[in-house]
Amino acid sequence: MDFGFWSAQPLNSWLSEVGAVFRKEILSELRSKSGLITSGLFGIVSVVAIAFATWSVKITPTVGAGLFWITLLFSSMISLPRAFTIEEELGTGDLLRLMARPHAVFWGKVLFNLILIAVTAVVLGTLFFLFAQIHVGSIPVLVLSLLGACLSLGGGVTLSGALVAQAANRGALSAAIALPLLLPLTALGVAALKVAFGDPAVTAGTQAAVGLVCYGVVSVAIGPYLFALVWKS
Amino acid sequence: MLEVSGLGKRYGDRWLFRNLSFRLAKGDALIVLGRNGVGKSTLLKTVAGLLHPTEGKVVADVPDTRTGLSLSALEMSLYPSLTLREHLRLASELRGCPSRDDELLERIGLTHAANLAASKISTGMKARLKLALAIQPDPLVLILDEPGAGMDEAGKDLVQSICAEQKERGVLVLATNDQREKLLGTLELELVN
Repeated sequence: MDFGFWSAQPLNSWLSEVGAVFRKEILSELRSKSGLITSGLFGIVSVVAIAFATWSVKITPTVGAGLFWITLLFSSMISLPRAFTIEEELGTGDLLRLMARPHAVFWGKVLFNLILIAVTAVVLGTLFFLFAQIHVGSIPVLVLSLLGACLSLGGGVTLSGALVAQAANRGALSAAIALPLLLPLTALGVAALKVAFGDPAVTAGTQAAVGLVCYGVVSVAIGPYLFALVWKS
Repeated sequence: MLEVSGLGKRYGDRWLFRNLSFRLAKGDALIVLGRNGVGKSTLLKTVAGLLHPTEGKVVADVPDTRTGLSLSALEMSLYPSLTLREHLRLASELRGCPSRDDELLERIGLTHAANLAASKISTGMKARLKLALAIQPDPLVLILDEPGAGMDEAGKDLVQSICAEQKERGVLVLATNDQREKLLGTLELELVN
């Protein structure tokens, strides 16, 4: 069984396969715009709702971090797992299974999802600062937190989507798998963003942001191995 | 080249097929017959490696299944927003084989539709594209599930000639109810239950 990247195959062949999956995802998204519209619409509506609700209220760093994290988390949860579930819904999964190795499918899709969530985070971040009047306390922690959020949400949500895509009752299974995966992530994300939005506990915030980055790296690194086990089952 | 031994597939309490064994060598064509719902497509998907058998095994003597074994199935979908040419290029990059997109599009008579999205073409044209995707890597084992379904007479002629070519080069497994396609077979397997 081919578990992935570390098998003895030429690097350019691996890159070509990953690039092919990535290009397919980009082309499909640019033509359908379903992921951008779904997560963008959710994000914009959430930010506008938060802006109305807190119009004359000063948002504390903790509340701001919680609101921003929830918006980013749910924006990613409604768009990222679709990279895998849509293959089964459209009936294209078998075509891909016949032609592609599992690691190429995973890496190509995770790369696409990382770009999608980075765009979402930048758009949501900008809207949040414009409409919700959030004060930035530490730009380095904010940048590190957003990087960690993109990596960890991109990796974690993509992995859970990949694991449940072929299940018949994927809605319930997705929630069951996503909960333990995303709970620690939420704790780290809120702790890091709290400092980015002005909380004085800089050391704890930085550690939480580094934790987010590590979580993302680990989930992206183990993803192909877990995915290979379920891809042809 | 393709050996199936003691193959069985069960869904719940119902066995779709059981104890199937056959061996196909170069030049053989197995025609799988049977009424709708009897398990022809499931058998073909199991032989192609897309479904795990409940019992038994399939051994295809090919160096890499991505290029050595191909399947074209009625229920397999294409990417709606990708063009015909993009499908062929995607497949070649994933399989690591030459794209031959111009040659294949001409072979299936769809050069004029090369840049149309798959969602904009007819069922018969989709069937032709799936056939082109299946023969792109010059597979040693070609598995076709109702390849002529939805095709016009010219399309059915195309299926005939591609099947005949494949028989010369390797092994063909064909599930069909088309009388002309049945004539291609050197072996017949009828599923009943």
